[in-house]
Amino acid sequence: MSESLHFAEHRLQEIALLVMACVYAIRIFWLTRYKAGRDRQMPTGPPDTNKKKGILYSLMNIMMPWAMESTRKHFIIYSQFIVFHLGVTFAILMSFLIPYAPDTMKPVWVIYLFQVVIGAAFIVGIFRIIRRFSKKVMRAISTPDDYFSLILITTWFLTAFLSVPNKPENGETIMIIYFWLTAFFLIYVPFSKISHYLYYPFTRYYLGRTMGHRGVFPLRGSRQSK
Amino acid sequence: MKERSYKANLLIEGMAKKLNRQMVGSLVACVHCGMCTESCHYVLTNPDDPTYAPAYKADRMRKIFKRHYDWTGRVFPWWVGAKSIFTDEELEELKDISFGKCTNCRRCSINCPMGVDFATFNRALRGLLVSVGVMPEGVAVVSKDQWEIGNQMGVLPEDYIDTLDWLSEEMQSEFDDETAVIPIDKLDADIVYTINPREVKYDPRTISDAAKIFHIAGENWTMPSEGWDMTNFGLFSGDDALGGAVAIRVYEKLKELRGKKLVISECGHGYRSTRCEGPNWAGIDQDFIMESSVFTMLNYIKEGKIKVDKSKNTGSYTFHDSCNNARSCGLYEEPRELLNLVVSDFREMYPNRNENYCCTGGGGAMSMSEYTSRRLKSAKVKADQLKATGANIVVTSCHNCVDGLTDLIKHYDLKMEVKQLVNLVANALVIPEKITAPEVPTVEIKKAPLAGRKILVVDDEPDILVFFKSVLEDNGAIVFEASNGEDAISIALKEKPELMTLDINMPGKDGGWVFENLRRNPEIASTKVCIITGRPELRRLIYDRPVPMPEGYLDKPVDPDTLLFNVRKILEVG
Ligand code: SF4
Ligand code: SF4
Repeated sequence: MSESLHFAEHRLQEIALLVMACVYAIRIFWLTRYKAGRDRQMPTGPPDTNKKKGILYSLMNIMMPWAMESTRKHFIIYSQFIVFHLGVTFAILMSFLIPYAPDTMKPVWVIYLFQVVIGAAFIVGIFRIIRRFSKKVMRAISTPDDYFSLILITTWFLTAFLSVPNKPENGETIMIIYFWLTAFFLIYVPFSKISHYLYYPFTRYYLGRTMGHRGVFPLRGSRQSK
Repeated sequence: MKERSYKANLLIEGMAKKLNRQMVGSLVACVHCGMCTESCHYVLTNPDDPTYAPAYKADRMRKIFKRHYDWTGRVFPWWVGAKSIFTDEELEELKDISFGKCTNCRRCSINCPMGVDFATFNRALRGLLVSVGVMPEGVAVVSKDQWEIGNQMGVLPEDYIDTLDWLSEEMQSEFDDETAVIPIDKLDADIVYTINPREVKYDPRTISDAAKIFHIAGENWTMPSEGWDMTNFGLFSGDDALGGAVAIRVYEKLKELRGKKLVISECGHGYRSTRCEGPNWAGIDQDFIMESSVFTMLNYIKEGKIKVDKSKNTGSYTFHDSCNNARSCGLYEEPRELLNLVVSDFREMYPNRNENYCCTGGGGAMSMSEYTSRRLKSAKVKADQLKATGANIVVTSCHNCVDGLTDLIKHYDLKMEVKQLVNLVANALVIPEKITAPEVPTVEIKKAPLAGRKILVVDDEPDILVFFKSVLEDNGAIVFEASNGEDAISIALKEKPELMTLDINMPGKDGGWVFENLRRNPEIASTKVCIITGRPELRRLIYDRPVPMPEGYLDKPVDPDTLLFNVRKILEVG
């Protein structure tokens, strides 16, 4: 392994992780500096709902595509969302496994698994890019960061897909690009919309608390009456 | 550097006070995925216009927030879509989006995978705009009424009491029972009943229906002489100070009367404001019981305090969930339970409950006449929903929805009627033996009650003139007509009518001019005036004049019963 690849796999990742952790900590501190509003009224809604149930429901909501009309009606987009985020998880996991537990990446089935998931995520990334550029409403709500983040991650998927076999002897370039992109990704995340997963627990927690207290969560949806 | 207007500066500074953790979370968490887009009724009816998309509308406030309160937007504004505002024209654009393209129905909020609650921060944006004086005229007028007169329709205390007395008399004669009255300011009542001022002005039958139910249930109840308006325009205008003041007015009156429970008549915005938001705006913890009258009526039936016969309510019924009830207070099962107890043919509307579409008159939209065409266009979604049920009556537990639905039913020619649960429960009541009710109930109009009364109808629309004239003449009045300001004054001088119904918006000399000239001319100054306008924001033209106020106000469209009720009230015809 060349020194460049070793640096990209180890020191570069450590620096990037450290920077990301610091910026994250600052972001969380910034958010928590704002006072949380609270509900002073007595609870409303069905007796079997409450704040706790609302919070739990809200946080689990993303795993219940049937719960929201938006995910029910757009199940394909929801499935793409799952695949895309699984791809992110696998590609990040790989950035730890290759340098620190390379043996885990050796079995053929593991290579296939990573390639299938990351490859599928790459295809979803392409679809998402097309959707963002081609739909009028998506263009109207997109910022340069939205386009850049999506293209960045989709490219990163491609390099991750090609790096899965972890065979520097067959050429290091793609792996170096993958690790540099991973580092850039880690540093860039807190400054971009990709940091949404940092806010996700906050927004869903507070929405769940509010809606649970009011008996709106868990959502009852559209039901046939008795 | 670009210079910023005084108002724009104030709005940016004011934002700091509005921000809390929930709101900041919603402002930073949007990933622009577009999943919420189709949950909005405005988008569904304007598919080619992306400016109606919830995320697009939300970004108008998000941009300012990012530019001034989020360092990513301070450092890389263009990159993250941060943008400040500088001019008053930009504030007007914000107003157009915040008030004119969103009813704060919260449907997008429950459809966002990230948990972004746009409706909540759109309300905050409205509040910021209101704080710098940028708002639709109707919002200004109604807010002013609620601050100054104590209710959002400018009902004067004497009119409110008169109406209750009048309804009491009706009830006494209906039941032939001296005790069948609407108690006012009774101490230690078990229930203090609060209403929407619309009920006093346009729909007194809902008050008498509720009174009838309380009477038959043997309830120890009262209505307060003040603090009776449970609606709260602070919800729509985003003005928390108004929200808190109005809520406190209601809560304090309950305490002053030593009432045990506050019952809120059927109104989505009133229920949400008084029950679910009021304590937060007022900064006090709720320490007494408040409930919607839907619960009260349902419990009466369950406890056997009243008996109902559902065969009295003929026809087919569907139910429209008010956004404020269903998506902000969890009130959606009880109205259905009650409805099923008082009608036989109930047909569910889809989608329903938390997922129901807005009546499109929510968020104060009914008072913003400048957006009427937009509102009615977006109402196509609701019209299709209604039509698909095949029902001929739509029931709703919200006064605002009654108006919104009535308007769209007329616009889309749906041949449906709108009713509230209180009407159906009252109609289905089985009157116990000892309380005998006559065959023809409530607000029965005597034959020609206006016989010989001279009324001058002033309006530039020929259809309105014909309509008012026929309703009033059918009831015995001698009607004169004028289609412009000058004619109105000369006919008034010649015929000396007792009452003038006056449109405000007329070409040439408008209603404001007529009103002032009438009041300033000693010969005709005592003529009673009822302003009837389709543009409530123009009531300012009347308010601002240094002459005694008119005796009544009505908003168009007006139905024959409402017209007659108000004319009789002003002329003190029993
Ligand atoms: S508000 Fe929610 S659903 Fe709508 S674009 Fe933003 S993240 Fe997506
Ligand atoms: S709150 Fe309702 S009207 Fe406003 S954007 Fe969301 S869905 Fe549309």
